Amino acid sequence: MRVKSQLRIGRGNGILPDRFALFRKVDMSQSAPPSTSVLDVRAIRAEFPILERQVHGKKLVFLDSAASSQRPRQVIDAMDEYYRHSHSNVHRGVHALSEEATDLYEAARKKVMRFIGAKSSREIIWTRNATEAINLVAYSWGRTNVDQGDEIIATEMEHHSNLVPWQLLAKERGAKLRFIHVANGGVLKLDELGSLLTRRTKLVAVSHMSNVLGTINPVREIAERAHSVGALCLVDGAQSVPHMPVNVQELGCDFMVFSGHKMCGPTGIGVLWGRRDLLESMPPFLAGGDMIRRVTLEGAEWNDLPYKFEAGTPAIAEAIGLGVAVDYLSGLGMSAVRAHEIETVAYALERLAEVPGLRLLGPTDPEQRGGLTTFTLDGIHPHDLATILDSEGIAVRAGHHCAMPLHLKLGLPATTRASFYIYTLLEEIDALVEGLYRAKQIMTRK
Amino acid sequence: MDRQEQIEFLLDHYENPRQKQPMSGEGVVAAEGGNPDCGDVIKIYLKVDGDGKTTVTFEGEGCTISQASASYLSEFATGKTLDELARLDYNDLIDALGREIVTQRTRCATLSLETLHAAIRKRARLL
Repeated sequence: MRVKSQLRIGRGNGILPDRFALFRKVDMSQSAPPSTSVLDVRAIRAEFPILERQVHGKKLVFLDSAASSQRPRQVIDAMDEYYRHSHSNVHRGVHALSEEATDLYEAARKKVMRFIGAKSSREIIWTRNATEAINLVAYSWGRTNVDQGDEIIATEMEHHSNLVPWQLLAKERGAKLRFIHVANGGVLKLDELGSLLTRRTKLVAVSHMSNVLGTINPVREIAERAHSVGALCLVDGAQSVPHMPVNVQELGCDFMVFSGHKMCGPTGIGVLWGRRDLLESMPPFLAGGDMIRRVTLEGAEWNDLPYKFEAGTPAIAEAIGLGVAVDYLSGLGMSAVRAHEIETVAYALERLAEVPGLRLLGPTDPEQRGGLTTFTLDGIHPHDLATILDSEGIAVRAGHHCAMPLHLKLGLPATTRASFYIYTLLEEIDALVEGLYRAKQIMTRK
Repeated sequence: MDRQEQIEFLLDHYENPRQKQPMSGEGVVAAEGGNPDCGDVIKIYLKVDGDGKTTVTFEGEGCTISQASASYLSEFATGKTLDELARLDYNDLIDALGREIVTQRTRCATLSLETLHAAIRKRARLL
């Protein structure tokens, strides 16, 4: 199937007109200031080695942090250091290495506890990621508390990880799954809660910040209303915990989940926070070593919290890495991180609004949304857009972002998402917009 | 083919698709294929004439790569025998389209061939 003979098609002599000349001479006097006023982004970037990379011969413009963030060298070095000097299995070794490893590991747990305002490190359960944490609740709490005819409430904007486990649970237990719908501006139709909440409602599962719309949901209010009918509230904090101050006491929720790799930590580590009394009453999730206190051939006694829910050798280096990520973010201050993102997304909204045919999803008020922008561009399929941007070194994400029901509701097979973080420069948003114009040029020439 | 030429080639098939029309009537078999991940949809129409030569046309909607691939494949396939088409390989198609460009989206690139093979199997069942 060789096609070399079919190369020169359609465009005269095959030599391309220099349609990109338009964009080569960029007037730098018109550029935005490089950094927001809140964080010293250049200094931060110097600590993220991967940002030095080139992609297809261009500077990397990484706008995909909502999918996974990058790690500062402090996190990388800490894990490297751990493996070089302190690694041993944790918790019951009497020897020096095991004690060192255990100290580092449990110190990380305490850091996470303080980061989200938990009352006790016993409430911090290490999981592989937010998805596993939700599955833990569905499996362990759900199967012993949700019965035939009970109800679970989720929303139309949920990531599959905060939807599919509840679908499975509802099916298994003969319960009903009901949904809060999304209004046109990308906010939840909270007035539906009145009729959705009944005395049969056992759980309300809601995302704190939508990974597609950017909407920040009023979780505190939702948790209060759930409690008023005797239901629990689980919050998917995968997009919120990395990007804004989160305090589980203030939010008043019963469970909170998040992933390390979205907050400058390593992959393979996530957190379930749960109210202590709830976790005490729940049966274990995975069974095996570490989660027991005593074992005979006939049976076993469960270990205390948090270990009851942590079977087998944990992701020790990863937990330590996440602890260092928490230190790093705490050093910046989560209020500053949030303020930086509001400024960044405000700039992005302004610039994106200039692009003809670009439709942005979600709230238009920067204060009401997180630091991500999902959009469509008329006439250009998101896959093609992402490919063209990639050839400019710009990394965005195209597809349904693990939120197919939301995309079905919006009538969009796919969208493109550019997401920001502490290392995003405003000039990267300029680069994105330039890339969008270039894509329009390429795709709509006739 | 350098990168830019590869892109030009695909864009040409996307903007000026070959064989893009439905077929109907005696002996026409149609099969649909789609990529639920991103909304690419392809419908392949297949007909074999008395000499054993096929005509392949398509309809569809979606991203450049999936549609260009369908155009290229339909044009290439028309005039070949069923046997030759059944033996077409995904890797050959990816190479023909320009591996460097489609490498991140091989599902888009191979949707047309997947659907063509489905049409061939469907025809074998019906006849």
